[in-house]
Amino acid sequence: MSRPPAGRLVALFALMTFAFGAISVRLVVLQVSQAQELEDRAFDQRVRTIDLPAQRGQILDRNGARLALSTPADDVYADPQLIDDPWAAATSLSPLLGVGVPDLVHAMTSEGTFVYLARHLGRGASDRIQRLALPGIGLLPTSKRSYPAGPLASQVLGFVGTDGVGLTGLELGYQDVLAGTPGERTNELGLSGQAIVSGVDEERAPVAGASVVTTIDRELQFQAQAALEQAVEEQGARGGTVIVMDPRTAEVLAMASNPSFDPNAFENAPSATYRNRAVTDAYEPGSTNKVITAAAAIQERAIPLGSRLTVPWTMPVGDYIIHDSQAHAPMQMTLGDIVAESSNIGAVMVADRVGASTLATYLARFGLGRATGVGFPGESNGIILPLDQWNDTILATTAYGQGIAATPLQMVSVYSTIANDGRWVQPKLVRGTIGPDGSLDASEVAPARRVVSAGTARMVTRMLAYAVEDGTGTNAQIPGYQVAGKTGTARIPTGDGSGYLEGQYIASFIGFLPAGDPKVVVAAILDRPATVYGGLAAAPLFKRVALAAIARLDIAPADRVPLPPHALPIG
Amino acid sequence: MVFGIVVVNVLLAQTSFRIGEAERRLEGLSEDNLELVREQATLSAPGRISAWASRHGMRLPDDIRILHAPGSGSGEPAGADPSTQATDAQGTRGPAAKGDPPT
Repeated sequence: MSRPPAGRLVALFALMTFAFGAISVRLVVLQVSQAQELEDRAFDQRVRTIDLPAQRGQILDRNGARLALSTPADDVYADPQLIDDPWAAATSLSPLLGVGVPDLVHAMTSEGTFVYLARHLGRGASDRIQRLALPGIGLLPTSKRSYPAGPLASQVLGFVGTDGVGLTGLELGYQDVLAGTPGERTNELGLSGQAIVSGVDEERAPVAGASVVTTIDRELQFQAQAALEQAVEEQGARGGTVIVMDPRTAEVLAMASNPSFDPNAFENAPSATYRNRAVTDAYEPGSTNKVITAAAAIQERAIPLGSRLTVPWTMPVGDYIIHDSQAHAPMQMTLGDIVAESSNIGAVMVADRVGASTLATYLARFGLGRATGVGFPGESNGIILPLDQWNDTILATTAYGQGIAATPLQMVSVYSTIANDGRWVQPKLVRGTIGPDGSLDASEVAPARRVVSAGTARMVTRMLAYAVEDGTGTNAQIPGYQVAGKTGTARIPTGDGSGYLEGQYIASFIGFLPAGDPKVVVAAILDRPATVYGGLAAAPLFKRVALAAIARLDIAPADRVPLPPHALPIG
Repeated sequence: MVFGIVVVNVLLAQTSFRIGEAERRLEGLSEDNLELVREQATLSAPGRISAWASRHGMRLPDDIRILHAPGSGSGEPAGADPSTQATDAQGTRGPAAKGDPPT
């Protein structure tokens, strides 16, 4: 028996009605209830947003010379899933990227959908890669940081990592200022990856970073660095530091550390060379610290300037015997003689009259024991024991600069204070920033404070001039100019606190000129030089740098200051 | 009227393309400018100039002396010749015994 045809038609109709009904329901679901969600998904598939990197700001010297700048570049990447012939692609790219074919093939056959082939490629090479139109190879816009003067002021400038973020130095310290704000561009793309003309095309422009204007003078920095390098080589020293400062403004004109490195290829240099020792490393200043002892004694009238002390060559202090460098019969010395001849025993006798509390106060007033606030990352405070831990030995060694630690910047700041009529001014490495409008936004006025009276500062200057004219610093003399300065030959503490390294010294000379109207302060410090003494190793370095400063800054001689009261014969 | 609308649209499209082309050219020129700035900074770097000078036989004098014209307000007595003090500058007055004492 077969069904009647009408029944089959009805069944077929019902089936079709159900099918159309299902389709209709599905259409309603897709086009009504899920319409927005599906539309958004489709939109997301068509629309691409890329980051637009902000141009990183430049770092300039005080005269506008560029010390660091960024140029446009591209990162080259591959999507291994889209590369059909890795060997052919690698052969085409290898000469443009400077990467070996096997390495490129290895990268192009790796797992995943993204791998960098090269970073920070110049625009010339990346344009040629774009013209190759290799499937699976893409470019991402970025920028390349360049340091046009190579190792010049490298520890001050620092460098940026591959992601363009500052890692050391001013690049790190001023990261927020230099970086700017990235933008983004949104395009609607067709199936082939081409932009749809009438589609979405939105752009939020990046805001370039501000430029940082340093206080560094590029030419003087080069001279200081070259002189330091020469001195380190001649002396077989482990390294050294030079700082040049304007005493009136406390602006750092040059700051060099040796060994140095080229920030364009920082990855090839030992990380120890990255340190800006002038700011981050504290050392025992030795006899250069006697200037604070003398200033405290003069300011507090602890010893009449013309009075003579009988200075032996050894003296028991606590459990130790302190001595001058060479045996001598007891000598009649004024305070000026003690500074000029750098007598340890004399300094101890003076400090004893000043007293521990007062000396500690003057150390703090001159800025020792706390960071200067120069605005450089990782600045050291230096080390000064709390007053309640002082004993006779600490007082004695502090008088001649052992048992305390200071950074070279702190010490140059001490001498800058004397040169600036007794006013301490916070050291400055950055003059200001230049924003998009091109105008200089000057840094805040540096804090300043009076440390000693102008009269005291002038008397200390006379003593320092005496030290150069007829004391331990004669190698710092410059024809036509009166130099005021002080030598230092400091022992180096062992790392474990067990005492001092045998026969190893930090030699230093810190001074300023012209003594009668100081225009520049120079610190010259050498780590373990062959000739040991500050007067022999560091004073000639001071002289070289000071001569460069005279020529560069056009410094004229000034009236000579008279020598201080002295008991020792001159000449 | 239809013709006019078409013409206006074509002109707008052409202008749009020209603006796009000008923007690309501006971007390219800005990049070239930055590259030239970098090159200028590299070429003017004192280290490069010093190395170039050394290669061409130039060098700094062993003893730099700075002379000032008499009566120039420099504080030097008129007629003084700073170079006469060169003996001091050689460090002959600073024998080893004058060195700072190690402590």
